[in-house]
Amino acid sequence: MAAARDDVMLRTVSLRKHFGGVQAVGGVDLAVPRGDVRAIIGPNGAGKTTLFNLITGDLAHDSGAIYFDDTDVSGLRPHQLTRRGMGRTFQITSIFRRLTAFENVQTALLTHHRRHYNVLARATSMYRPETTALLDRVGLGEQAAKPSGILAHGDQRRLELAIALASSPRLLLLDEPTAGMAPRERHEIMALVAGIARETGLTVVFTEHDMDVVFAVAKRITVMHQGLVLAEGAPAEVRANPDVQRVYLGHPEPVR
Amino acid sequence: MTAGAPRAIGAILIVLAVAPSVLPPFFLQLLTEIAIVGLFATAFNLLMGFGGMVSFGHAAYFALGAYAAALLVKKAGVPMLLALPVAPLVAAAGALFFGFFIVRLTHTYFAMLSLAFAQIVFTVIFKWKSLTGGDDGLLDVWPPALLKSPRAYYYFTLIVVGLCLLALHAIISSPFGYALRAARESPRRARFIGVDVRRHQLIAFALSGLFSGVAGALFAFYNGSVFPDFAYFPKSFEPLVVALLGGVHSFFGPLAGALGFKILEWLISRQWPVYWPLFLGGIVVLVIVVLPQGFVGLLSGWRWRPRGTM
Repeated sequence: MAAARDDVMLRTVSLRKHFGGVQAVGGVDLAVPRGDVRAIIGPNGAGKTTLFNLITGDLAHDSGAIYFDDTDVSGLRPHQLTRRGMGRTFQITSIFRRLTAFENVQTALLTHHRRHYNVLARATSMYRPETTALLDRVGLGEQAAKPSGILAHGDQRRLELAIALASSPRLLLLDEPTAGMAPRERHEIMALVAGIARETGLTVVFTEHDMDVVFAVAKRITVMHQGLVLAEGAPAEVRANPDVQRVYLGHPEPVR
Repeated sequence: MTAGAPRAIGAILIVLAVAPSVLPPFFLQLLTEIAIVGLFATAFNLLMGFGGMVSFGHAAYFALGAYAAALLVKKAGVPMLLALPVAPLVAAAGALFFGFFIVRLTHTYFAMLSLAFAQIVFTVIFKWKSLTGGDDGLLDVWPPALLKSPRAYYYFTLIVVGLCLLALHAIISSPFGYALRAARESPRRARFIGVDVRRHQLIAFALSGLFSGVAGALFAFYNGSVFPDFAYFPKSFEPLVVALLGGVHSFFGPLAGALGFKILEWLISRQWPVYWPLFLGGIVVLVIVVLPQGFVGLLSGWRWRPRGTM
């Protein structure tokens, strides 16, 4: 068992969270192996976003534990987890809107390299090649000089991905990375994420409503329902699971 | 700042350098006050414009700087040129202590707690008669003979304010400043790039207090006396109004605001002293409605207009 543990990047043990009388996450055991591209699916209100917020320290859990790379990280704050190599994006695009796309990524790099308490250096000339490389990587090279708030929605989501990648994460949690994107762009961005995961060994956990996207890129799928894990397995297993079909896949198009 | 800015700044410096040769002493005093208010408002705007934190209690740090300078000179016999750099450290220490509690809150609660702490500072100064002179203030806080003339103190103020502005500009252009702006735009996203947002805001608060303290200390020696009013809440609204008038989204906005504010104050209160607040209210409404970018918004067609981002 010990040998297997070493290969687990993220593990939650009986993770629980309730809001008032509502059980949002009701005892979730999750084990994501290193290098996995894991989709977490489930109807709205299944607890996916809450689970993300618990894992990333954005919310405090009621009970249970979170292990990141075999270390108990329960109770660590978001900036500490980011330092340890956990990156994330949000369901509602979260970028620095009045900074240019370039400055968004540059600021993330400056912070990642622990230069953010430096009050003397001129930031504008720092980490420029690295910033350009990341922007090119997500296809925003041309948009670098624009204030990020005026970018198209899809480009803002790409930018948030670049911001998250700037921290050189080992584990990347993407909360509906393709929300509001056109179908072609959805596949493009997820292919990009899967490509980065393949090349760098990055572990990815993402939530997604578009089943085409999920089945195209996920190595394994976890299905959540009413705050609990309903099923887990390879895409084909999950697709064939009668419970999953009943609560979720049975709908021709999942209701959003 | 774009390419035209250095030239414009050069021209302004030349005008300021020759001003004493052409202007009567009264205007030198006005310019001295403008420089001090400009520094105070720029220090304030480090929080408001760049950090997204609106303080309603910055008079506390202005007054701490002013009283620390006055007390050092009057009660401890410290020479003015030593008191001037030490006094702002007292203001920064105050900002660090109060800020520790204030940055735990956001928006309205942040503003109200900062106001509450400033009122505490005011009350302490007002009541602690044996140390502060209470309502009578502290008199005869003059600089040494060398700096006593309006002309000498004008140049002295310009140099000190100029150095502080360079430092403030360096701060907002630094990696620290970038992360501060990130925290303004989205505290949550900033945490998830690794910024300890609260600590960052606290450091910004202390730096803002430090430079507000320089403004207070400069004003103490300019005025030759210090009074509890320095910590009273109308003084807290001065940098807010000045920064809004000039434009909070530009580094130079508060300086432009100080210039406009002081000149308008002089023009109007010379004619109708009682009605200055009425005019001020009208001007603030006008600027907020017509010029949301402040006076620097007037330069929007111009070369060194502040860029879309800051």
